[in-house]
Amino acid sequence: MMDMLVPVLAATLGAGTPLIFAALGELVTEKSGVLNLGVEGMMLVGAIVAFITMRGMGNVWLGVAAAGVAGALMALLFAFATLTLQANQVASGLALAIFGAGVSAFIGKGYVGVTLESSANAGISLPIDIPLLSPLLDSLHPLVYASWLLFAGVNWFLSRSRAGLVLRAVGESPASAHAVGYRVIRIRYFATLFGGAMAGIGGAYLSLVYAPLWLEGMVAGRGWIALALVVFATWRPARVMLGAYLFGGITIVQYFAQSAGIAFATQFMSMLPYLATIVVLVVISRDVAMIRRNAPVSLGKPFHPSV
Amino acid sequence: MRIVNRRDFLKRTSSLGIAALGARALGAFAQDVLNVGVVHQYPIGEVGWETQHAIGWKAMEAAFPGKVKVTVVSDVQQAQDSERVFRELASQGNKLIFGTTFSHMAPMLKVARTAPNTHFDCCASVTTLKNMGAFEARNYEASYVAGVIAGRMTKSNVLGWVGAFPIPQTVWRMNGFMLGARSVNPKAVCNVIWINTWNDPAKEKDAVGALISQGADVLAGSPNTPVQGVAAEERGAWSVANCSDYSKFVTKKQLTGDIFDWRSAYVDSARDALAGKWKAQDRFRGLGEGGFCAMVPYNAAIPADVVADAKQREKDIVSGKLKVFAGPLKDRDGKQHVAAGASLSDKEIRSINWLVEGINGPFPKS
Repeated sequence: MMDMLVPVLAATLGAGTPLIFAALGELVTEKSGVLNLGVEGMMLVGAIVAFITMRGMGNVWLGVAAAGVAGALMALLFAFATLTLQANQVASGLALAIFGAGVSAFIGKGYVGVTLESSANAGISLPIDIPLLSPLLDSLHPLVYASWLLFAGVNWFLSRSRAGLVLRAVGESPASAHAVGYRVIRIRYFATLFGGAMAGIGGAYLSLVYAPLWLEGMVAGRGWIALALVVFATWRPARVMLGAYLFGGITIVQYFAQSAGIAFATQFMSMLPYLATIVVLVVISRDVAMIRRNAPVSLGKPFHPSV
Repeated sequence: MRIVNRRDFLKRTSSLGIAALGARALGAFAQDVLNVGVVHQYPIGEVGWETQHAIGWKAMEAAFPGKVKVTVVSDVQQAQDSERVFRELASQGNKLIFGTTFSHMAPMLKVARTAPNTHFDCCASVTTLKNMGAFEARNYEASYVAGVIAGRMTKSNVLGWVGAFPIPQTVWRMNGFMLGARSVNPKAVCNVIWINTWNDPAKEKDAVGALISQGADVLAGSPNTPVQGVAAEERGAWSVANCSDYSKFVTKKQLTGDIFDWRSAYVDSARDALAGKWKAQDRFRGLGEGGFCAMVPYNAAIPADVVADAKQREKDIVSGKLKVFAGPLKDRDGKQHVAAGASLSDKEIRSINWLVEGINGPFPKS
């Protein structure tokens, strides 16, 4: 039983990582008041761009960087439509998701079924040999550690830095922020681009590390899950992490349960990660006052500086 | 000199003309260039389901150089779209149209009824019409042979199977695999995990990880991607390829594979159409010359006597001496499905919904 713990934990952390990147990026975007529903499309584009870059250049980090740029470019389209042209954010986000799915399938046409050599999981080797931790840390990909750094960074940025305070102010009351002199549209642009870049990196993790192969639609709905995670976790980074690992963990445990012979209907088991994540997050975040405190008031509402 | 009466002249030439028109309308006469249409659901990649079909129609093109012109439409993902594409292909003068997957059956039935002079052939279809045939592979024969190899190569006696959906095509392969393994290794068991998708490499990889952690050292399965083999090789386990040969990606630890070989399906159909003798058939073939499945070349690491045994069984299956589903056969709950001396009928095979002894794991009744 104990020797199964390390692979289960490692798989859980791996399964949660793309969600963490996408969800934390979307969290920053939403905290500035912009609701970008196109996470799935940005993840798909990030996945195919990373794949093509890796195929051409052979370097994982170049692939990740290219995916970030691609995701940010997709987000730029969305930002231009909603922040400059004042289009409806929900509709534009959905359009972005569908567009991203189409674009990624189109540029990925020549790469369907092609596999990369899987990227070596260069984990951290600790000098002392802690029984559980060492084999676990050895088997994690650097991007998993990067996701922890991202969490720390986003947390610090939002709650402890001046820039984060301004961002949150823009999300709560853009009119007041504008009156004080902050450039609301510009700040929202940066937040949206950041969200797009993170979603792209989340997609890159899927196509470079997790399953080093490209298949149309391989993000398989994880973008939508990331979106839901942000909301159900009431825009708090720690709860987003919890939700992501819970989701990944139940998916993995469900496979182990199947082969151990626990006889639930497998369709129920497939449904379980989604159900459990929603239930847990709703239960721990049901304090109405806390929801009010954390939800950006101007989320999804267009802002026009002339007001 | 006979005086040619204008009335008689008109009568004779018009009857000739009607006869000629009638012969054309029959459609069933030898053609010069056969226009063939093929529809794929997904893009054609390097490996996978669509690739095996592409190998099939390319062989057809090569077998009749200059006499067959193929129009391929790929990435038609929705069934409604494929109906429109079939209609377009039929109206553009394609006389032989192939569908490549089960979800093409319903749209093709609709179109075939409105185009009686066009021949249709659908892979994995369960119904036929006068102008629509079907073809399906008895790949349980190939997975039986793969099971024989797996049963001898496993050291832990635990095999692993990643299942997509519990459809008969998958269930008969699992049963064939298990029966093959048990025929050489009575202690072998097979754990199965269902991931409920054909196309999610991340889930495949997780399922492989779970199976290996449970002790499996030979992996097989139903999703048509090399991810399983790659993930297994990373953890040091053997794998059996499914659908296509993945040795390009699984360089060391692919034992063999039970793959589809649709070349005869396309070539035979085109040959009949060219000769004007096409008839709708329900073709259900397995290993052997002109069959629809094949074994991937065996890994060099497999001991020679195991390979010899496998090759002998291939021969016996082709000659009919060895029947994969020969009785007595019980399912894993102990219920007897085949008595001693009998074997499963084609109808029973095509609707199979029970697992043989030795397969552990849930079995959702779909």
